[in-house]
Formats: sequence, structure tokens, C-alpha cells
Amino acid sequence: MAENKKYWRGISELENPEMVKTLSEQEFPDQISNEEFLGNKENLDSTHTSRRDFLKYMGFSTAAATLAACESPVYESLPYVVAPEEIIPGIANYYSSSYYDGHDFASLLIKTREGRPIKVENNKEAGINASANTRVHGSVLNLYDATRLQRPAVNGQESNWSSLDKEIMAGLAKAEAEGKQVVVLTSTVLSPSQKKLINTFGAKYTNFKHVSQDPFSYSEKLDAWQEATGKRALPMYHFQNAKVIVSVGADFLGDWVGQSVSADYAKTRIPGKDMSRHFQIEAGMSLTGSNADKRYKLKTSEHGEFLAALYNELASAKGASTVSGVKSSMQNEAKAVAKELLNAGNAGLVICGGNNKDHELLCIAINDLLGNKEITVSHKIRTYLRQGDNKAFKALIADMNAGKVGVIITNNLNPAYVAAGIANIAEAFKKVPTTVAVTMKYDETAQISSLVAAENNYLESWGDFMAADGHYSLQQPTIKPLFDTRSFEDNLLKWSGLSADYHNYIKENWNSNILNGTQWSTVLHDGVYTATSSAPMMDAVVEGFGSSLNLDLAGIGARVSKEAKAIKGLEINFNQLTGMGVGTIANNPWLLEFPDPISRVSWDNYLTVAAADAVELGLRHWNESNGALNGNLANVTVNGVVLENVPVFIQPGQTIGTVGLAVGFGRVGAGAVADKVGVNAFPLMAGAHHAEVKVEAIAESKHEFACIQLAHTMMGRDIVKEVTLDTFLASPGKTEDFTGWNEPPRFETHKGALTSEDANLWDDFDHQTGHMWNMSIDLNLCNGCGACVIACHSENNVPVVGKEEMRKSRDMHWLRIDRYYSSDITTENAAANGYEGIGLFGKGATDMYADMEVPSQSPEVFFQPVMCQHCNHAPCETVCPVAATTHSAEGLNHMTYNRCIGTRYCANNCPYKVRRFNWFEYHNNTKNFGDNYAMNEDLGRMVLNPDVTVRSRGVMEKCSMCIQRIQLGKLEAKKDGKALKDGAVKTACQSACDTNAIVFGDVNNNQSEVFKLKKDQRMYHLLGEVGTQPSVFYQVKVKNTTA
Amino acid sequence: MLFIAVLSASTLQAQEFTGDVANGKSLFNGQCAACHKLDKKVVGPALGDVTTRRSKEWLYAWIKDNQALRESGDADAIAIYEEYNGSIMPAFPGLSDDDINDILAYTIEGSKPKEVIVDPNGPVTTVVAENDNTVLLYILGGILIFLVLLLARVKNTLKQVQGEGVTTLAQDANIFTRTALKNPRIVTVLTLLVAVVFLQQLYLGLMVVNVDTNYQPSQPIKFSHELHAGTNQIDCNYCHSGARKSKHSNIPSANVCMNCHMYIQEGPKYGTEEIAKIYTAIGFDPESGTYIEDYEQKPIKWVRIHKLPDLAYFNHAQHVTAGNVECQTCHGPIQEMEEVYQYSPLTMGWCINCHRETKVDVKSNDYYKDMHAKLKGKYGPNAEITVEMIGGLECGKCHY
Repeated sequence: MAENKKYWRGISELENPEMVKTLSEQEFPDQISNEEFLGNKENLDSTHTSRRDFLKYMGFSTAAATLAACESPVYESLPYVVAPEEIIPGIANYYSSSYYDGHDFASLLIKTREGRPIKVENNKEAGINASANTRVHGSVLNLYDATRLQRPAVNGQESNWSSLDKEIMAGLAKAEAEGKQVVVLTSTVLSPSQKKLINTFGAKYTNFKHVSQDPFSYSEKLDAWQEATGKRALPMYHFQNAKVIVSVGADFLGDWVGQSVSADYAKTRIPGKDMSRHFQIEAGMSLTGSNADKRYKLKTSEHGEFLAALYNELASAKGASTVSGVKSSMQNEAKAVAKELLNAGNAGLVICGGNNKDHELLCIAINDLLGNKEITVSHKIRTYLRQGDNKAFKALIADMNAGKVGVIITNNLNPAYVAAGIANIAEAFKKVPTTVAVTMKYDETAQISSLVAAENNYLESWGDFMAADGHYSLQQPTIKPLFDTRSFEDNLLKWSGLSADYHNYIKENWNSNILNGTQWSTVLHDGVYTATSSAPMMDAVVEGFGSSLNLDLAGIGARVSKEAKAIKGLEINFNQLTGMGVGTIANNPWLLEFPDPISRVSWDNYLTVAAADAVELGLRHWNESNGALNGNLANVTVNGVVLENVPVFIQPGQTIGTVGLAVGFGRVGAGAVADKVGVNAFPLMAGAHHAEVKVEAIAESKHEFACIQLAHTMMGRDIVKEVTLDTFLASPGKTEDFTGWNEPPRFETHKGALTSEDANLWDDFDHQTGHMWNMSIDLNLCNGCGACVIACHSENNVPVVGKEEMRKSRDMHWLRIDRYYSSDITTENAAANGYEGIGLFGKGATDMYADMEVPSQSPEVFFQPVMCQHCNHAPCETVCPVAATTHSAEGLNHMTYNRCIGTRYCANNCPYKVRRFNWFEYHNNTKNFGDNYAMNEDLGRMVLNPDVTVRSRGVMEKCSMCIQRIQLGKLEAKKDGKALKDGAVKTACQSACDTNAIVFGDVNNNQSEVFKLKKDQRMYHLLGEVGTQPSVFYQVKVKNTTA
Repeated sequence: MLFIAVLSASTLQAQEFTGDVANGKSLFNGQCAACHKLDKKVVGPALGDVTTRRSKEWLYAWIKDNQALRESGDADAIAIYEEYNGSIMPAFPGLSDDDINDILAYTIEGSKPKEVIVDPNGPVTTVVAENDNTVLLYILGGILIFLVLLLARVKNTLKQVQGEGVTTLAQDANIFTRTALKNPRIVTVLTLLVAVVFLQQLYLGLMVVNVDTNYQPSQPIKFSHELHAGTNQIDCNYCHSGARKSKHSNIPSANVCMNCHMYIQEGPKYGTEEIAKIYTAIGFDPESGTYIEDYEQKPIKWVRIHKLPDLAYFNHAQHVTAGNVECQTCHGPIQEMEEVYQYSPLTMGWCINCHRETKVDVKSNDYYKDMHAKLKGKYGPNAEITVEMIGGLECGKCHY
């Protein structure tokens, strides 16, 4: 009988049916059951609300609420009680300042609005090029990072300054009593006043030591200069004077010895007879390598041999003694490079990367042979951006381990993170009774320090710097400290028992030692000061070595040969990503979302592997159905230290037999945003910048990349136009008969062949009457550094979308820098490679295009900044159903957010793919986009530009050509009653670009720079065949390659 | 005897300084009130009894050019100068003898007890003309009702004559409605009418959502623009100094108020009550005339009246400095507002309309020089250039 059939819901019911029954009855024990509630007749009778009444009340209350919502809220408006004299609400103030975080240095102007710093600009007055890079442009956001230390801490407990000071003074007294060392450990100290103060502080203690260690060390380079010239300082390089630049592994446009050379380098890259030729010899694909005229792939361990071979070529030509017994694998290339260098005479420049004394000595010797002293390499003016000493640091660690150190004070350096590969810092710190970390974050070092002194941000403190001999700059606070923090120098003053504040200390120091009669206020206004006499604050200047350079050539030869043979397997090169550097300001969502210029990957670091090696190691890439890139993971072992689960990225141009890994990621304590990103490469890196490595693929592993450019090559299209210097010099770009190297595309019509400008269906706008804004982007000067991307981010309140959204190609950057690799197959050489017709009997057109997608093994690299092209026949405008995007008489394509209803027709119809859709509310959306504290926290929001609307969900946005700056420039001119001067309006990307690749202005003003550039032979429009007539145009890239 | 002397003296003065008290008041408030009060020593002496202290001729001479009077060696003039630590009273050569008479008359009238003050030129209450209409309408309505009742009576009389039953007015209406509602044409017309009226009202209603014309919130301080900008003729830009330079025409900070109110400690309407609120905000002790040290300042929480949505960019300097637009164009007769209200709707239609109609002064500003030459070619040599013609209707000019 069916009724008797019993089903068990689990084995437990069979075994203990009573318990299961009790439990199931009590499934919702705290609620009154429906039966009990509705079954109570009394209850029901006592309520008089019928269903109809309920609906009536609901209806009325909804209507009432709707009506009430129409009422405007009351806004309060609180003026200052006593208004500061210098602040006019609504008008930005600019203060000159400087940036130095122990790694990056820059001279800046800080834009403040109503007392809040909101933007970093380059200080063009700076005597040496110290322009802000990508990271420095983003650094303003770190001021408003709520995960900064807000007050001091003693033994891991939040505390106050008086108890911290007491503990430190006790620790110092104890150390002195016991005869132990008192140590100040910093990165390179650039500041003359800070250096003086450290010495004043140390003078009270018998065993005082100040040790410098750079996060990315160039200690051996400095040793080489000391050996050669007697002074432990690097020279200043004058790239603007160089005709032939040979860089052996030096990524001087990315991260090298700290000197910012991109502007000088760009000066030699202007096409013409004087254009420089740049050779790059390197293992991984660097930013500098991407810009080289000729790039050779060579393992870093063989760089010494190459330098020796180059030296030998030059020495034998000049009749000097050679290095014997060295044979480079690139002997022929060395010969070719040497020939070029000899032709250039004293306008040659040879530099090397890595941290190797022999390499640097060879470079010194080569440059000496070239006779370029004071022309491209200055011995008189030295830079001080890297002064760290690995030997002193190792000796310090030994002392600490031996219990000889009583107090260690760290500042501007995070040894527990950056020096993890050199020594076991945590162990060493345990042996020191008083450990003080002066830091902004509860970072790796702060976590192992007993006392943590919360430090000011650079925008809150005074400072001074001498980046090179005679080149001084000042840092001034632009906001009061947001938290209960103190600057390192104020701490030192306090701990030295001095009552002065650091502002007066600097002022006094400058007035008596540096300024030589110049007014302090003038210098403070300019932010920079160039001394006419040589620098008194640093060590005595040594005039180089003259003719007495005595190198142990035989020793060097033996060592470089040995070095090349030492690495038998794979070689790993440690480098830095443009957006992260060594991770000093890691907790910055703008920088984390910044796609690396080469790989176009954001929110990650990864092991770069050559395609051939990847096959061998069993590593691969694959794309998901939505295009998102995935890759394998690998375990990486260097000197017995294993780094697990490292994402692998297959990098075109990577030398076979080498891999690369960037430092600066995998943080603990840098802040909530940075801590979960990437892997930490520092423990693998011990002093040298390369090492032997074992890479083991993890089978079936998957890493999700946020790579936003899926197409690697241009597929035979003229997206980036290129011409060789010879062609450029020999023939015109545009001719009457359309035979030049830069002809606009033409269409056959009944009137004959016409350019897209002449053959169009549309009525033209009147662009003659007022201004006509145009922008020129010189592809020869753009090196892809990405400073403009971050400058745009901060100027235009561009949201951050996070890794998951980036994977869906929903990045919001208004300005992107496309990167293209060349392919071995081109439409020109297709026939020669056997691609015929449609490929009925072999390889055809489809195969050709498929193969064109694959970048070459040794590709040329092209960068192209792309923002809204502000088309004058804009495809987006014609498809907008609500006229939210319209055209202006000034040649701009306006986007009216409040009108947009989010159909996204415009984005679909845009041939340049520059429109960005707000798929979500990226502000005030802590749940999903909380990582972007710039838009989701009260503190972070202070960084927003009040002149630019924060866009809401469901609307389209795009580059506005910084219309707020255009309007401001026009207004200032109108207020003054004067014509608008060329250069008075600069877009954010333009002012961030230190190579002047971006020029913006009014083409209706025939005196303007952009007018001249529009008439230039090299001018072309991106996708000119579409006929959109953009207001943005590009200048053809000219490569100085030998035929 | 003394009493008689004083009485006779005062009657004498009352005859002597017969002037226009109202004009005197406005002149006093405009020219003298910054430093003088009638009943209290401020920067200068109290003036309520000045006519009893000084002769008429001396007062004329002193007010017109006190420095000259002092230099002439007048002992009284030198004495008063020294009493006030050498602070110089400005000369008022622009005041005529009549003006001074008016002011002096006010000092006498103004210092009399309040109930005595009679303002002869004060506002006269006149009967508003519109009221007449209402009365007429009532009469008209009455006549109509009377006619309806009359007709009903006539109808019923006629029915009775014909021998039919009498119906009341209500019954008639009922029958009419029933008949009408059975007629589909009438129903259609009525429905349409109701729908159109409803939709029109809805549209009008929605159009004024968030349009806050006449919005007049009560402010934390009963500040009168009528007194400051109207009577005292203080330039708008003195307090709203941002309007010429910046996008914001800032609400003045309390230290700007203190420029005058350090001395003017009492107002004509609310006495010390409202001005004391500034002192509370900034920490000023009116008794000693000094700022309180280490005072925790309390910002004044004004209620914002004019507020454009964040999506619209508006710049005061663009309109005030570059466009030479009067404050009153948008803010209305602010100099007559005791309490400020929103005069203009501040809607986009209102902005656009003004941009269509407003002429740009292209001739006197060199910024427009080249542009004007080209505009003449486009619109004709004598065309008036409006904001619209120079791109003032483009979306991106205000929305970015």
C-alpha cells in the first residue's frame, strides 16, 4: 500500500527518526507560524484594516512620499569665519614643491583648491629635468589614503607622541650607556638639511652610524665611480647632446638611476639631420627598448662580454690596450655599434644597467675613449639620487645580529620588504632593543619595529633636496597634517633636543649655506634654485680622472667571462613596472589600474617569458569567451628561495633563455588596495638585478589577467605610420601627385581621386569664426611612459573599475596608450613568404592575416596615445537619439552627461573606441568599488576636481579635451581684455608630457605651434580613410634605422 | 529757572534745525553711522545732543572740512581731535548746508523716545484697487442666482399652466445629467476635456518641480540687503568679492562683516541682537572692542538660496566681469530685499533665453577682436552679436 511507504531524507532519519522530527519542527523556532498567527480569531477580529483599506493607505502613502520627494532639500552654506587671504573659493592656487620618496624625485607644482591639493604638475622652471613620472602624478591620491598611520604606536598599541618620545629617549640613553650603536637607516638622503640634521642628531652618540640603502640598489655602480674618480657619485648624463646612444640593459626611460632623462632624450629624437640613433641591448622588453631604433636581445649575464667587446673595438681603433680573452656572442653587433660610436665622436654615449661594478667600469672606460666628458657624461655635475651602499648595509645587519646595535631608526626605506632578499631583516631587528620606524604605513618594517612614528605625507611637510651638484629644490607643505603625524625631520629635531621647527631650520641652513644672497621668498616661489658656484653641502667635487684611468682590464675580462658562463639555465631579470616602481606608494588605485605600457596588464605583476621558452616550459595563454586573458602559474626558484604561484605572461621581444619579474607587488601592510595584488619578487633579489632561475609550470593552473589590449599587431593597417629617417630627409611627405611617404587616403569618385576631406556627404561646421582647438601628438616623441594617463585620471575624476571589470574591457581611461608590435609577415612581404590568393592550394589571405596577428620574435614597438579624436564629422553625434553628444563651433565633441540615456549607440559607432560607459555607479559604491577610495571615502573624495562632474551610472563619458581648462583660459583672457595667447590653455595630458609630444592649441591662430604642426609633412589623421576629420592628429614616427 | 532755560534752548534748536528728517536719516546712515551713533560713543562721539553742545556755524565748518577748522586754530576742534587720539574724521565737502541741516534735524528727532518718532514721508496705506472687483463679482453672482431662481419659477408656472407636475431645480439637474451622460458625443467631449486639463496641470506641475522661484528660507542672521545694499549703498562686490574673480560669488566671511561691525554695534531694526551673532561666530567682545583670544570660532550656517544642480557649471566672473551683467539681472532687486528670495527660476530655459537675447560687448574687449571681424563677415557689419552667436548655446559650455 502506497500510504505505508516511507521515505527517508537521510541516513540520520533512519537511525534516529525522533530527533529529526523534533529538529524539523524547530526549523524556524523563533517565528510564529502562519497558522498560529492567522488562526487566532481574536487577533484578526481586533484589527479593522481590510485588504481594501490596506491598499488605500499604501496608495496614498506612496503618492504622498512621491510628492514629498519633490521638495528640495535645504542646503547649508558655511563661509569661513576668517577667510585666509590667499584663498578665493573657486580659484586654484599653485605652490612649487618637490617629491622624493626614497626612489623617485621630481620638481612639482601642486594645484590646490580651497586648501586641498588635487593635482600634481611639472615645475618647468626646474634647471635639471626632474619631471614627474606616472607614479609622482598619482602620488597626490596617497595623501588621502585612510589606511595611512594616523598616530604613533608603541609596541603595537596606538599611542601618543609624548610616550613615543619618552620611549625613544630612554632607548637612546640605554644604547649610549651600554656602548651600543645608534643607527639611522634610510634610503638615499637627497636633502642637505636632512643630512645636516642627521649628523647633528648623531653627534651626541659615540657609536652613531647613518646607513643608506636604495630599494633598487645601484651600489656597485657607485663603487665603480668611486674607484675611477675618487667620488662615490654617479655622473649627470646629458642625453640632449648625444648623437649615438648605446644602452646596455639600462632602462633609462623607465627606471634607472633616478635621473629623469626623457625630456633630454626627446630633444634628440626630433626628426632631422641631428636626430640621434639609439641602440638598446637588453634581455627583457623595456620601455627604453621599445623606443630604440635598433634593439638587440641579449641575456643580462652576457652584457659584460658585450661591453668588453665594444670596448675592444673602440680601443683597437683608438690604439688603447684591450681586454683579452673575452668573446661576446654578439661580436658583429658590437663591431657595428662601435663604428657608429666612432662616427659620432664625442657625441656618443654608452650606459649600462644592472648593479655590476665591472660593467660600469667598462662604460666609464668606453666613454673615456669616446672623449665625451662634460658633453654627454658630466663628471663635474654629479647626481645624488642613488647613494645606497650594500656593503655598509650588510655590515649593519651583521652588527645587528651580533647585538651591537642599540637603536635603529628607519625612514624612507622599508628594509623588511625591499631588502628581504639580502638578509633576514626580521631576525636582525629582533636583536635590537629599540627599533623605530618613521613611516606613513603600518608596513613590513613597522610591523617588526617596537616604536612606530607616524610620518607626514610629502604634501604636509617641509623639505629640501639637492638632486645634482648645484641643483637645489624645495618642498613646501600645501595642507596641514591630516592626522596626528610628524615629519622625520621634526622627529629628529625633537630627539636631538632642538626646539626649532624644520621650516626655520631649512630656511636658516639655506640662507647661510646655499642661497648666497638670493632671497628665500624668491626660491620658495620658484621651488628650485641653481647655484652658480659648486655645491658646498656634499662631498668635495673631484674633477674626474683625467688621463689616469687605470683599469684592471685582465681582471675585468676574466670576471665578465666567468659571469656569462655562470648562468647555465634560465636567467631571471628583476625590473620595475612603470605604474609601481619599487612600491613606495603602492596603495594607489589609479596606479594599480594603470595598464603597463608594454604588456597592457593592470592589477598584477607577472613573470615575462619568451614564446619559445613558454612552449618548452609548458606555459600558455588563452582567452575566455569575453576576450579576457588567462595564463598559467609557475613556481620560481632563485638560490633556493621559492616564489609560488607566479602568473606567467608571454612577452614578445623577451630574450630566449631569460624571464623577467617586476618588484613592488605582493605587499603586506601597504594598505587594503595594494595588499592583495601580485607576488613579491624582493626575496628572490639579492643585490644583483639578475640571477639564475628555475621555473616550474604548475599544471592545470589558471591566472586571470586584466589585460586590456588583445590585438598585438596592426594587421597591416596604417594605424601608426612610420618612415625611416633616410626617406624622411630625402623626400617630401605630401606631394601634388600623391607620391610622398605620408599621403592621405583617397577615394575614386566621378571627379577623380579625392581625399576624404573633399569627398564627403556632410555639411561642414563653421570652424573659422572663433577658436578651433586641435591637438598634435608626435609619435616620435611619445615614449609610452603613461604620465598623461594618470594626469588625465586625476584632472577628470576618471573612475577606477577594478580588476574584474578591467577583464571585461570596461576600463574608464579617457586616454589610453595603444601598444603595437610589428609582425614578421606584412602585406608587402606576403607574396615572398608564399601566401597566395585565397589559398586554395596552400597559404592564402586568411592564413596571412592569422599570421599577422602574431608579433615578431624581435618586434619593433609602437606607442600611440588615443583619446577622443573630436571628429568634425563625428559618427557618434549622428547616432545619439537624444542629442547628448553634440558638436561645438570650436571643434570639440561635447558630451552632456545629464542628457545621456545610455543607449551606447555612440560607443558602437565610434571608430576609435574612445567612449567609456559607466556600467555601474563607481562612486559612493563602497560595496563593489570600495578599492577606489578616491570616490568612495570622505577623505579620498577630497582629491576630486571640483570643476568636473562625477559621472553617474548609465551614462557615457569620454575625453573632453579638458574643456574646463579651455573655458578657464578663455575666461582669464576675457577678464584681462586680451587676445588668448597660444599656450595659455594646456590640457592635463599635455602639461604632464615632459617630451612635448602633445601640443594643443587654436589652429585659427596662425602663430600657434599647433597650426605649424598641422601644416607639417608628418601630420596625419588616425584612420583617415573613415573621413571623420578629427581635431586630433598625429605626427608620423621616424625611425633612425640603418638600411 | 534751569528747566525753563533748557526748555527754551531746545525749542530754539527745534526751530533752528528744521530739516527733512527722513533725508537726514538716510544721509546719517549712509555717511555717519560707520563711526557715530546717536546715543553711544563709538569711533566718534555720540551725536544725539550735538546740537546742544555746538553752534550751528561750528558744526557746518567741522563737518565740511574739520582739518581746515583745526588748522584755523579753533580750540574746540583741536580739543575734540585730541580727545579721540588723533583719529581723523573724513571731510564731507559734498554735503550742502541743507543736507547738514537735515542730518542735524535727524539727530534731534532720532534721539527722542521712540514712540515720538513720526516719519512724515512714511509709507501711506492706500486701498488696493483690486478689492473693488470682488465686490462687483459678488453682486454679479447674486444677480445670476436670482435669474436662475426666477427662470425656475417661470418654468414651473408654465408647467402648472399646461397641467404638468412641478419639478424642483435639483430634479431638473438630475434629469439633465442623466440625459447628457447617455449621449456618447457629450461623454467623449467631456472625457477629452477632463483628460486635457488633467495632463496640462500635470505638465505644469512637473515643470515646477525643483524650480524654487521665490524660495525665501529664514536665515540664521536677519541680514537685510535693503539696508546694506539699498540704504547704505555698499557695493555688492565689497562683500561678495569672489563674484568678479571666481566661479563662486562667495558668502562673505565674518571677518568682512567685522570691517564695519567692529564699530557699528547696533542696527536700526533689531538693535544689538543680530549683530551680536557675528561676534559670537568670530569671538569679539563688543564691550572692550577686542577679539577674544583662543576663541573657538563658530561658522555661520547660512541657508543656500540659489543652487544650480552639480551638472551645470556656472561662473560668476564670466557673467559679472567678462559679460558685465548686473547682479540684479539674475538676483532681482536685491537692494530692496529685506530678506533675500530667489528671484529667477534658474532653469535651463531661463539661462538659454538670456543667452539668446543678451548682446555681447565685442567692441571694448580685445579678446573678441579677431572674432568680431569674422562675425561681421558672417552676420553682417551692423549685426548685434549675441551670446548665442559666439557659441553660448552649446552644451559643453555649461555641462562638463
